Amino acid sequence: MKMIDPHVHMTSRTTDDYIAMAAAGITALVEPAFWLGQPRTTVGSFVDYFNSLLGWERFRASQFGIRHFCTIGLNPKEANNPKLACEVIDLLPRYLSKDGVVAVGELGFDDQTDAEAKWFAQQLELAREFKLPVLVHTPHRDKKQGTIRTIELIRSLKFPEELVLIDHNNEETLPLVLNTGCWAGHSIYPNTKMDEHRMAALVKKYGTGRMIVNSAADWGISDPLKVPKTTEAMRSIGIPEESIHEVVWKNPVAFFSQSGQFDVSDLDEPPTIDRSQKFEANSVLRGESSVSR
Amino acid sequence: MTTFEALQTGLRTRLGGAAGAWFAEATDEAVSSTRERLLQLYTGVSRQLGHPPLALGMLSGFPPPTAEGLTVDHWTIEDAARLAFLMARSERMAPDEFAADALACYELGDAREQQSWLKAVMLLPSPEHYLPYVIDACRTNILPQFEAVACENPYPEQYFPERNFNQVVMKALFNRVSLARIVGLARRANAELARMATDFAAERRAAGRSVPDDIGLAMAGAATRTHV
Repeated sequence: MKMIDPHVHMTSRTTDDYIAMAAAGITALVEPAFWLGQPRTTVGSFVDYFNSLLGWERFRASQFGIRHFCTIGLNPKEANNPKLACEVIDLLPRYLSKDGVVAVGELGFDDQTDAEAKWFAQQLELAREFKLPVLVHTPHRDKKQGTIRTIELIRSLKFPEELVLIDHNNEETLPLVLNTGCWAGHSIYPNTKMDEHRMAALVKKYGTGRMIVNSAADWGISDPLKVPKTTEAMRSIGIPEESIHEVVWKNPVAFFSQSGQFDVSDLDEPPTIDRSQKFEANSVLRGESSVSR
Repeated sequence: MTTFEALQTGLRTRLGGAAGAWFAEATDEAVSSTRERLLQLYTGVSRQLGHPPLALGMLSGFPPPTAEGLTVDHWTIEDAARLAFLMARSERMAPDEFAADALACYELGDAREQQSWLKAVMLLPSPEHYLPYVIDACRTNILPQFEAVACENPYPEQYFPERNFNQVVMKALFNRVSLARIVGLARRANAELARMATDFAAERRAAGRSVPDDIGLAMAGAATRTHV
């Protein structure tokens, strides 16, 4: 089955992951701009990071037949560094109109500070200006309260709810989000957040409307095959193929297509991979022969 | 007709309608806008005009004699429009100020913007000013980016020191980019390049791998050396 991973940080993953994802049926992915596991100290690091999402990582994904899109934004963790936050926000207009930027994000609450709220609101205004959806991170700690604050903030600014994807939901937060017009993302993790069997149960209970599943794989313990594994878990409890297709393909396509930048119509054809574009000396291809498939 | 006039006329004919109007307005704006705005225009071309191929027939008088060897067959509309913005701006700005703006377009560009810039750098005023950046661009692992400099582009032939020119040729060989696409390879052939190509062929054979068919083009310097 053809799938999208609508939230995965490929810059921290290996080519083995790309190969496995492609083999499991993932043909497109969205890589949200986030933090790097430790705080950055200068805005130049953001410039290079954004450029790598729009350049090298996109090219790398294409080598494995996977279409790479990204979201650009100031993440909630680094929103708490006042000087850096201002400088990054000033950069955003340069990046939000670039090709293949399908949302503003990840933004939102982490520690739920005033600074996070301020830059969250500011980025909603940027999204409005650039006619883009937003990808909203929700906190690991005090998640339910963080989700409530998230929804309140979006409503207070009258930001169109159909343009909002609230991510990392669990059993406690999902009903809150489904009560709004926002989309509900679920990050399927090996140990934390949500697992594929609980996810399948949620789809069974709440249906497929506005439901989205991702791996959120990054540099921590995570698994870039969680979307295919959730597909399998849904199948194993008898969820119909058409419903699964909605969750792992139609819904993310519908959400990100609102950017006007998420064109996957040609992915109905199996992709041609030109592996001669890989590099022998210093890149992804190291000495093996070039193969097209 | 100057390069800029040819580009402008060609693109206006080619675009027409709303796209043409946007291009005309954006070109006027690019002349004296803030740098921030220039960067937005440079980026925005892609969403406004898309990336259809540049139809050469529309661009009579192009390329100009100052860029011998430059071909634009593989250019897209967005490549040409980005160059038009920069040329419009260069006619009004002080050279230093213009160069800083042009570099900002390159350094803050995504992969495709950088490719547009690299394909066209030869046509900017004082192209030699950008040499360190163009050399640096060749370090990329993104093949289309490398090709933007190495292929159908006279810049390396005209400005690269021998060592850097040779690296372009070797990288093309490594990546199976046809050497026939490197402008002026025969004119820049040199003994050191011939040696590198010979060693490369030996290394490939020792590893039981094939040697690119066109490697001979990189070896011409060995034979012609005494005649130069």
